[in-house]
Amino acid sequence: MIFSSIEFLLCFLPAFLLLYALTPARLKNLTLLVGSLVFYALGEPAYLALLGGSVAVNFLLCRFCLREPAQGNALAWNRGVLAAALAGNLAVLAAFKYGVQENGLPLGISFYTFQILAYWIDVYRGEEKKETSLLRFAAYIVMFPQLISGPILLYGEVRRQLHRRRFGLTGLNEGLKVFTMGLASKVLLADRIGLLWQEVQVTGFESISTPLAWMGAVAYSLKIYFDFYGYSLMAIGLGKMIGFELPENFQEPYMAGSVRDFYRRWHMTLGRFFRRYVYIPLGGSRKGELRTVANLLAVWVLTSLWHGTTANFLIWGLFLCVLIILERQVKALGISRLFRHGFLRVVPHLYLWAVIPLTWVCFAVSDVSQLHLYLGRMFGVTEGIQVNPMDWRKALETYWYLFGMGFIACTPVVRKLFGKWKGRAAGIVFLAVLFWVCVWRLQVEGQNPFLYFDF
Amino acid sequence: MKWLKKSAYLLLVAGLGVLYLTTVDHWKIYAGPIQRLKQYYEQAVYGTQTFPGPFLSQGEPEWDAGMGEGEKNVPDGSAEGGAGLTGSEETKGMSPSKGDPGQAGKEGEEAFSQPVYTTVEDDYFADAVFIGDSRTVGMYEYGGLEEISTFYASTGLTVYKLFDSPIVEVPGQRQKLTVEEALAQNSFHKIYLMVGINEMGTGTVESFAETYKEVVDHLLELQPEAILYIQGILKVTTERSQQGDYITNQGIEERNQAIAQMADNRRVFYLDANPEICDDTGGMDPSYTFDGVHLKAQYIELWKNFLKTHAVLGGEEMEAGIL
Repeated sequence: MIFSSIEFLLCFLPAFLLLYALTPARLKNLTLLVGSLVFYALGEPAYLALLGGSVAVNFLLCRFCLREPAQGNALAWNRGVLAAALAGNLAVLAAFKYGVQENGLPLGISFYTFQILAYWIDVYRGEEKKETSLLRFAAYIVMFPQLISGPILLYGEVRRQLHRRRFGLTGLNEGLKVFTMGLASKVLLADRIGLLWQEVQVTGFESISTPLAWMGAVAYSLKIYFDFYGYSLMAIGLGKMIGFELPENFQEPYMAGSVRDFYRRWHMTLGRFFRRYVYIPLGGSRKGELRTVANLLAVWVLTSLWHGTTANFLIWGLFLCVLIILERQVKALGISRLFRHGFLRVVPHLYLWAVIPLTWVCFAVSDVSQLHLYLGRMFGVTEGIQVNPMDWRKALETYWYLFGMGFIACTPVVRKLFGKWKGRAAGIVFLAVLFWVCVWRLQVEGQNPFLYFDF
Repeated sequence: MKWLKKSAYLLLVAGLGVLYLTTVDHWKIYAGPIQRLKQYYEQAVYGTQTFPGPFLSQGEPEWDAGMGEGEKNVPDGSAEGGAGLTGSEETKGMSPSKGDPGQAGKEGEEAFSQPVYTTVEDDYFADAVFIGDSRTVGMYEYGGLEEISTFYASTGLTVYKLFDSPIVEVPGQRQKLTVEEALAQNSFHKIYLMVGINEMGTGTVESFAETYKEVVDHLLELQPEAILYIQGILKVTTERSQQGDYITNQGIEERNQAIAQMADNRRVFYLDANPEICDDTGGMDPSYTFDGVHLKAQYIELWKNFLKTHAVLGGEEMEAGIL
């Protein structure tokens, strides 16, 4: 089940909230767990057992196999247990990603596996105490606001809230407001501007003009942002509604001035995971430039593999890695200092806006020969077939306002307006109308606007 | 009073929700789940195979009308499609063979049963108008005829609103003309019509064919000098057809059969480009399309070439002499 669906908005969520509110405080984790399992089963009944088994096995192993540091031989033993646990979890993930692909990936497995890994490592390192209750541990992994697409939580972030959290009118209201913003981002921006990307694919890459190829790339860049950002906002909003404070996942990434900066603001909880558990343990940037480059490479190869198994993801990740390495050199040479003052300050942004859509195209097009074709059309080096050279004008006429809204929503303006108006009467009325406009759009179009598009 | 202020948003969303569900949705969204719950309840109370009970028999029609329309009606229509056609034939009785499958055989057989198709160049389409949905828009954008022919095409166009849709742009005018107005103001010698895929979710094959027939008659009336090509709806890929919604190749075939019967091979000709674009499975070749419904731009040529090799020479071409 996805958040931006009628079933979730009008059936699951109200029913769950009612039950949750009626549950006494000490049983709220149980309601949350059962509700989350129902939520998962409604979307993916086949893999419910896998999820349940994964949670239970990991909990029991960690609880009873990891020894207290004071015990003799604990270090070596624990290292062995940890290695086995990591290998086991990753093997399951890899088996599904690379093996039984026909049936599709179990919903959310990439996210909940990483969350389990984070827990293991934090406990092993002694940064967190073992969770003693299976119920709390299960709630941490499967709570529905973050089960399917993150944010990837650290156990320490929610440990206290798993024991005791505030549930009340303030949280419900403020959370629902954040949720509404996320819903609007997904339904009114991502799904709408995604239609241009869909149109480009329907036409076929060999038949699009170079301007349209760029517009398509920008449209996809906006679509993927508002889709994922919207989802993360909805997750945070839902968390707030039931008393959790979930971490931010995005921080106006398109306002960044470099690719490095971009990926500090994009899917931040995934970046944090790789930084904490891969990059820094490998030595980070403290062991000389060569080691740093190797460490970055390791992180980006893993990031690519995490996102998908087709070759285009590797191209995407390596492309970004190369850009980041180059940016480090440029910075070391002091060239970037030139762009800190005056009108030259726009240069880094122009660079980012040119290069990020290119990387997203690599992400979006999974067939490498098609990707080659698309990039070729973007730079006008591949000969087109049946190209309508004016196609971009029609696209501009249809989508200009969405591009406009999208660009504005990439800036901090919307967040600031939200902060300023969310407490006032006009703001509240606006948000409530927005919520139902989204529901209405979802009813008109179905969950997938591409599917029920008029022909 | 403080709690009221604190929960203002929640209350407002709920209040607007009641308003929305009452005015827009008519609470249909909850009809399905409630119906299912009732069924479970019935089963639990009365056992699995007992009488339907008062709840079921009352609730069911309502639920059907809301949701199951398309799927349910398609099979019905196929059985009765022929009957609908002959019925509406009475409205225009001047041509004995027009639109009547039963009679077309007898009288017009020798002269008109097999149209003589010729291969033509692009300039054949100079006095043609193409009317249709997004597929015809594709022909406009990527068929290379945008400078030569006229296009009254728009995404989502259906046979039901064909004449009333304001889709025709006039240079220097803000207001768009309806197809009806545009056809009244301009004259063409050939009309290419392809609609029908958007209609599949509503009505039956029978009601579709009935309206289609009215459209055919009205087009001939509006353009007395034109011949009309009614094109079979292009199929979708077999994969798309099996996706489980109202768009199926079986439904397309049923509609195409109904359309085909309206050809009199004098002024109305039925053209079916499907053999050009379909694979062994009977659906659109998956390599020709991304979404399973629309031909990619480079394969529009297949359709266009089919039209070019299936042209009927009208009066003016005859006069110009056979080259």
